[in-house]
Amino acid sequence: MTSGVVAEIEAEVRQLRASGRVPPGLEDELDKCFEEAAEASLAARIPVTARDSWFTGGHSIGGLASPLRLAQIRKEATVMVRRRLGPSFRRLERRASLGVAWAGEAASIQAHVTADHLERLAARSPLVCRVLSAARPGESIASGAGIVHPSIEGPLLAWVLDRLNAAVLEQAREVPGLVLHAECGDGRLVEALVARGLDARGADPRWPARTNGGTRILAAGALEYLGATVNGTLDGLLLTGVVDRLRPGAARVLVRLAARSLAPGGVVVLVSARPEAAVATDPVAADLAAGRPLHPVTWCHLLARSGLCELAVFEHDESDPDVFAVSARRVVPALLAEEGRP
Amino acid sequence: MRTRPVRIDQVIPSIVERDAVSHHTLEAQRVLHSLGFVSEIYACNMGPGLAGRVHPLKDLPREGGEHQWVCYQASIGSPAADAIVSHPGLKLVDYHNISPSELVERWMPHLGEEVRLGRRQLAELAPIVELGFADSEFNRAELEDAGYRRTTVAPLMVDTSNFYSQPDPRVLDRLESARALGGHDWLFVGQMLPHKAHHDLIKALACARRMFDPDARLHLVGRESCPAYADALHRYVSALGLTAAVEFVGSISPGELAAYYSSADVLVCCSDHEGFCAPLLEAMHHRLPVVAYGVTAVPETVLDAGIVLPSKSPVLVATAVQRVLTDHQLRDALVRAGLERTRANSLDGARRAFAQSIEQVLQAA
Repeated sequence: MTSGVVAEIEAEVRQLRASGRVPPGLEDELDKCFEEAAEASLAARIPVTARDSWFTGGHSIGGLASPLRLAQIRKEATVMVRRRLGPSFRRLERRASLGVAWAGEAASIQAHVTADHLERLAARSPLVCRVLSAARPGESIASGAGIVHPSIEGPLLAWVLDRLNAAVLEQAREVPGLVLHAECGDGRLVEALVARGLDARGADPRWPARTNGGTRILAAGALEYLGATVNGTLDGLLLTGVVDRLRPGAARVLVRLAARSLAPGGVVVLVSARPEAAVATDPVAADLAAGRPLHPVTWCHLLARSGLCELAVFEHDESDPDVFAVSARRVVPALLAEEGRP
Repeated sequence: MRTRPVRIDQVIPSIVERDAVSHHTLEAQRVLHSLGFVSEIYACNMGPGLAGRVHPLKDLPREGGEHQWVCYQASIGSPAADAIVSHPGLKLVDYHNISPSELVERWMPHLGEEVRLGRRQLAELAPIVELGFADSEFNRAELEDAGYRRTTVAPLMVDTSNFYSQPDPRVLDRLESARALGGHDWLFVGQMLPHKAHHDLIKALACARRMFDPDARLHLVGRESCPAYADALHRYVSALGLTAAVEFVGSISPGELAAYYSSADVLVCCSDHEGFCAPLLEAMHHRLPVVAYGVTAVPETVLDAGIVLPSKSPVLVATAVQRVLTDHQLRDALVRAGLERTRANSLDGARRAFAQSIEQVLQAA
């Protein structure tokens, strides 16, 4: 009986495909999406634990007698609690672990954002600058304006502007896309973006806030600004300067803030000095600095781990071989972006 | 005719509650007791709640000769197999299938090693085992391929506590409330292991929601036995925006499971490898139509009592489920055939088959 039904179902599938009711590429997209999830999970794989081997006869892996016992005790406790609390226990467990992870991340972000804020306030005081400079000779704590960030010129400038411009134009909005240049220095690039018709603004902790025509620059650090930005509001984000001297742990926070600040389709571009160049220029300062630049591959890793896609690296600019740029985009799966209901 | 032994002991690598092979082993012990044998179970690993009913492998008596036979429950590579090889008694193997390493080792490299070891051990046991019994024809064919001279099929003794438990009212209420909002409920029951292919179920659900049933839900019941795979499934569900539609239920009590069976509309199985697949029979008992990918032992477990698909293309699975959900005549026919199938595959029948296998060995010259 059922073989006939299966033949009918197969015929129905052929008909659905022919009529276009099965969106082209749907299955490929589902496969690709799972492969991405699988790769991400395997990359962050929990090492072989007693739990792995407990259920599968882990006796063949030597030296796990004690972890096995611990796993057994944990399992017994879990079963007991689950029996008392019913099926909602697993959901509670998952929510609790998600809650702890969320609270940890929020605390980390808040700590870095506050540090950024305090650093900017401290930089206003010549006395604090002198004290910090004496305490940490490798770090450039300067009050007032004057620091000019790595020059972005020639092909690199064109690449950066194209990436940001494309991101904003693709959104096809009625209002101009919002682009932020964090640590914009004297604001030349912000002006270039405004000249291209974008709603661009800059932020820099070492320059005073100012408005010049369509150019608006705030006195704020990158982490400080992004920490206060509403999620999903930036179409473009350009990071310079801050990426060259990130404190340990701040890189993850910066990327996390950048990812959550971007609107769907938004692009983040960061321009940084090569770590090798920083060491070659002044090895003592580079070694003693509290923060240092990262390699392009590290940025790619961090951006990808934050869920950003379409990674691109600009590495070969003859005018300044010591500088590179990385860009990434926040993509919402097409499967979800389209209207999917009959 | 052989001399009747005093005891037939069973050896199993790991034994835990709510596991099909473990339950089969406990049932086999009851059958052996009913046949008048002394019979104990010896295991390398023992789950909670089994202390006293199961003994550590190191305590396995080594009397051998005409006094003691040993029956090895084979489903994974284990030092327990070495204990069987060196045991002086007559040896039996009850084979429940060992998943191919290529299906699991990407996710659990150590498990890949263990299943490879298991297949090597199965072949090593072949020349010294008196009878290999398997819970499906598919498994019996594998035993023959591994070099076993005498084989027979003795069906899995399925845990019927899942059949007759009363649905947990709290779980049932929750599921019924969700049903009231519309959409059908898909169910799969099985450990969250890569070869069970939960990801293919999620793909099929995504297709079904897009093409036919925007509010369809999928309930995945079973222990998360592979952390990396479980993590990937959670990420996948989140990336597809199906967090509210896919429920990771975990391991639950028979009453809670009965609530899921009672509330679901269809049991869907996309597993890549099954030596028997007891949940298919459980679903049939609970009047749940079955849609399954027809691979390994699944077609002979389902027979004509479910939709057995030649591939598990998500669109094909989604279309098959939709057909079962909307064609009431077909659904009724499947439910009737499923009940017939569970009657034909009853626990009593499986117990008799196991007892006959033992008698077969006793009768042999």
